[in-house]
Amino acid sequence: MNQLVLIVGSGLITAALLAVAGVGFTLQFSVTNVLNIAYGSVMGAAAFAAYEVNKAGANLWVSGLVAAATGAMLSLAMNRGVFKPFERRRAGVFTLIILSLAISLILDNVVLMVGGPFFFSYKQLGQASVRIAGVGFPPSQVFIVGAAVVLMFAVHAMQKWTKLGKAMRATATNPELAKASGVRTGLVIDLAWLISGALCGLAGLFMGIIVGAFNASTGSSFLVPIIAAVVLGGIGESYGAMLGALTIGLVSEAAASIAGVSALKQLVAFAILIGMLLLRPQGIMSGTAAQRGLVR
Amino acid sequence: MSVATGWEFVAITMLVYLGVNLIACLGLNLQYGTAGVLNFAFIVFQAAGAYVAALFAVGPSSSSGGFQTYVGGWDFPFPLPWLVATITGAVIAVPIGLVGLRRLRSDYQAMVMLVVSLIATTVVVSFPGFLNGSAGIALVPPPLGTLLNPISVQYGWLYVGLTAVCCMVVFVLVSALARSPLGRNWRAMRENEAVAIAVGLDVNRLRMLVFVVGGAIAALSGAVLVDFISAWSPDAWLYPETFAFFTALIVGGLGNSMGALIGAVLVPTLLLEGVTLLPTFANPTVSLGLQWVVIGVVIIAFLWFRPQGIVPERKTVIAPPDNTAAALATGHKAQEAG
Repeated sequence: MNQLVLIVGSGLITAALLAVAGVGFTLQFSVTNVLNIAYGSVMGAAAFAAYEVNKAGANLWVSGLVAAATGAMLSLAMNRGVFKPFERRRAGVFTLIILSLAISLILDNVVLMVGGPFFFSYKQLGQASVRIAGVGFPPSQVFIVGAAVVLMFAVHAMQKWTKLGKAMRATATNPELAKASGVRTGLVIDLAWLISGALCGLAGLFMGIIVGAFNASTGSSFLVPIIAAVVLGGIGESYGAMLGALTIGLVSEAAASIAGVSALKQLVAFAILIGMLLLRPQGIMSGTAAQRGLVR
Repeated sequence: MSVATGWEFVAITMLVYLGVNLIACLGLNLQYGTAGVLNFAFIVFQAAGAYVAALFAVGPSSSSGGFQTYVGGWDFPFPLPWLVATITGAVIAVPIGLVGLRRLRSDYQAMVMLVVSLIATTVVVSFPGFLNGSAGIALVPPPLGTLLNPISVQYGWLYVGLTAVCCMVVFVLVSALARSPLGRNWRAMRENEAVAIAVGLDVNRLRMLVFVVGGAIAALSGAVLVDFISAWSPDAWLYPETFAFFTALIVGGLGNSMGALIGAVLVPTLLLEGVTLLPTFANPTVSLGLQWVVIGVVIIAFLWFRPQGIVPERKTVIAPPDNTAAALATGHKAQEAG
């Protein structure tokens, strides 16, 4: 019983991180059509920025705001400074992915140069534990699960019920038609970078809290489980990313806990990803992948 | 016999690194420059070659007295480890190709390959019994080390010669392949896949073929490198290393061997290795970080200002063969007669 609670609890905590990160990644891709390899590095940079203000004495709420703002501003700057100019020149998808990898290297190494080759940990996480069905969980991690649920509902509400959400979905489906129908696609794309970047930044903070200690390359190492969650659910699909995150979080925790080998966690995510790529590379919800011709 | 010191040591080191990087760039250029196949997991093939060459030279794990653990371990005579490594590169290209070369949009494919590279690193680090984990395999004996004195300057130059021979073999091979009908098919696939399929080319086979040949070349580069530096660990083949080779090709110029040579000299050799031989101007973390920042900036700048690279690929114009001209001529006559 206790083991089951532990598995579900840890699984939900992992899933919460992957869901926030995955929804940001997939939203970015669906609206902007850029597969942003630098996503993990932006997470890392935001986690580091939050660490700096946290070290200076700010509490985790303020640190969270800083993380979200860092992620949003970095993402917007990437679009305005690099992706948009290249897209105007009709650069191919390969050029764009190489650019995102270049940005990823630059970000990781700027953090390395500024922060040094050290591991960073947040302060004021609280030492007490929340007991759920007899198993203790750190309160900050329980909070992350709650925050993820709120964020997922907010993304859902935005996409479903706001004018911006409608405009985003229109831009994602057919940018030319959206433009012709009066949607200011340039603005919508900028806002998509801002919102997905903010989610990415928050995911960075959550990552820092969950792993306990992170360094300059921890963010980019999270790219694989994020991509696994996104590809499993179906790339470009927000609900798919949530579903994928939940599956990977629970399955990997269960496998690691039952076998008693923690390295298994990552390997299960890898196995799911590779199996999915072999059997159904468009993912469970295949709408965006089919529409973009990702899988021919 | 004198021990290699001073400028000779630097020259030998730089030349061997240049040779290794040139072999790797020629292999990657065949895959991406000629055939248009994106292989963001390229470094995994170099790593596999290095590990296999090390395993086939270092002797069994137990002989090191618990200093390092790995699977297998033999002490085969010199050319065999390099040969086995090269074959391994070709063999592992098949399963990796099956996962990564599915008919995916090219950026999606690139992302999948990057993920393969990240997975490979994590697997090696997570299972220390497999290839000695993050510490890596050390004390790889130098080739012919029992017959010759491996710390002599003559040995160093001999190694440079061996590397040069490998470069020549790879150069002749990729040049022949690029000129062959197979090379033309690869370029056709690169330029327009739909048309290539329409004229009856089996693009899946073409893609897998270039993946296997390029994988073998990458593995050879790893074997040459590991026997020179005598150690190999996951730090040597993190995914940004693949990116350094891509940068080299884009800077030098895609799709031609001269471009690959210039790129190999400038990016992985001078910028990544050469800088480490200079007296340090800042603390090691800052200079290491700065190298990669510079690489990132260089690639963005080249893609913006000179996407064709320093040496652009020459357009190959293929003259119609004589019989075509003759057939046209006879067709013409037949029309006149009719």
